[in-house]
Amino acid sequence: MGVGRRAFVYLLTFWVILTLNFLLPRLLPGDPLAALLDPSSSDYVYDPEVRAALAAYYGLDRPLPEQYGRYLLGILTGDLGRSIRLNRPVAELVVGHLPWTLLLVGTALLFSSALALLTGTESAWRRGSWADRGLVSASILLANVPVYFAGMMLLLLFGARLRWLPLAGGRTPFARYPSALAAALDIGRHLILPALTLTLAMLGAKFLLVRNATVNVLGEDFMLVARAKGLPEGRLKWGHALRNALLPFVAHLAAHAGMAVTGAVFIETLFSYPGMGRLIFESVTARDYPVIQGAFLVVSAVVLTANFLADLINLRLDPRLREGGAVG
Amino acid sequence: MRRLGGEVWFGLILLALCSAVAVLAPVLAPYDPRAFSGQPLERPSRAHPLGTNDVGQDILSELIYGARVSLTVALAAGAGTVLLGLLVGGMAGYAGGWLDQALMRLVDGMLSLPRLPLLILFATFLGSGLPQTIAVISFLFWPTTARVVRAQVQSVRQRGYVRMARQFGASHPYVFLRHILPAIGPLIAYGLVTSAGHAVAMEAGLAFLGLGDPLVKSWGLMMRFALNLPGIFLTDRWLWWLLPPALCVTLLILALALIGIGLEQNLNPRLARRWR
Repeated sequence: MGVGRRAFVYLLTFWVILTLNFLLPRLLPGDPLAALLDPSSSDYVYDPEVRAALAAYYGLDRPLPEQYGRYLLGILTGDLGRSIRLNRPVAELVVGHLPWTLLLVGTALLFSSALALLTGTESAWRRGSWADRGLVSASILLANVPVYFAGMMLLLLFGARLRWLPLAGGRTPFARYPSALAAALDIGRHLILPALTLTLAMLGAKFLLVRNATVNVLGEDFMLVARAKGLPEGRLKWGHALRNALLPFVAHLAAHAGMAVTGAVFIETLFSYPGMGRLIFESVTARDYPVIQGAFLVVSAVVLTANFLADLINLRLDPRLREGGAVG
Repeated sequence: MRRLGGEVWFGLILLALCSAVAVLAPVLAPYDPRAFSGQPLERPSRAHPLGTNDVGQDILSELIYGARVSLTVALAAGAGTVLLGLLVGGMAGYAGGWLDQALMRLVDGMLSLPRLPLLILFATFLGSGLPQTIAVISFLFWPTTARVVRAQVQSVRQRGYVRMARQFGASHPYVFLRHILPAIGPLIAYGLVTSAGHAVAMEAGLAFLGLGDPLVKSWGLMMRFALNLPGIFLTDRWLWWLLPPALCVTLLILALALIGIGLEQNLNPRLARRWR
């Protein structure tokens, strides 16, 4: 598949997501306002006249196709609706929360990838040794422990017991920073625990991937030839083995980006970290439907974009994937 | 069957233990988990080994009955995922041709959907009851199984004895049930165990986010309530309220994963060599 076709598939997927987002609330029986307000919410309106006025205000009394057109047009112009709870545009809330999630996910992706590549290659190089066995067992454990459990343990140890690091939040509340450096340090201090949790959560799967890919490469004929040429150990390990194991690693980057976003939702909830996950959690608690929907759209778009970027990198790295090549 | 490794036995024992607790819950639990059997937020005592929660319910009893919820989800969502995957993957692999193409495009599309955000959206608008949660998890997780099943069915279909059976006039349903299904049996077992694990993790995760069935006290919901208590980490209350359900969920997920790894090695001996 070429770049154009891949882009088309992702656009199609995003359209499905957009449509689901439009249809799901409207599938609820009866009440058109149900798309905005949960009947059990304290903000619920009972007066039929006000309800009709509200429905007209939000365009919910129009025929469905017209509503759908307006909805798509709104998304295109960056209009994600208004939060019922905070009475602010959802887009504004997203702009405030998304950078935190990108910071958290980006940091964790970077560290977990670097660590996995280093340890995975070493482990494959010394496969069968006690260090390798230990690392494999630890990774299987890490890959399967739920991220909120790992987060709780770290929070308890470093936050509550040792009190080395802050328990919650993205920065010190109401802090005034004398300089940009002080601000960066404060944000960094708050980032350590959530990022460490997400790094550990992703390290297990990544390590196993790199290790297995490298073990496969080590059995290839060109490794034997390279060794026979008398290349030094370091060149063999990093220049030949790791370099070829990079391919399957990059191929899984897309899946890992999705995993990271999922992990971030739980971690932000646990650490009260002010990202998209926290926004989703707070809106779920308040049944603030427009925010849940807007956050859903943005998170989906981020995951799809990450997948598309990973695909592009794959295409550049692996000529076999380009036109005419078999995918898979 | 090759010999089962130690980690598989560990997983099986954990799973058996959890099942026993779930079945014997009424015998094992000291109280009705919904009864207000003590003062709110009691510390552990002889009467309440794990103390009581914020409304005075016995935490140990909640924990014991929680095993039923998680195992129900594991069994129902695992079976749902595998059935859907088997249906679509089996049909695609067996029929081939345009049907195969169309179904696999559908699978590709479903696999590219971000799962957790969709789960949250569905749970918000379709309700967060346990049956809905199970249905939505099955609906989102079947494509992975479908893909593996299809590949295996495709290879089995080409084998001599299957083609022979067709030549002798066996009907499609007969061939599928008599020859194909047994051949992919181990794969189904593997799919069942792994999707059960994902389902347990997802149900607990949704409850943790506040999207659990409010009428069914699952381990995830227990965590949610514990975390809702302000400053739970500042006292040692987490030790008997938050840690036990978190540990139970983790151990159950781990048990299913370990069994899955064992089954996977049985399916693919090359994998087993790679771990050594």
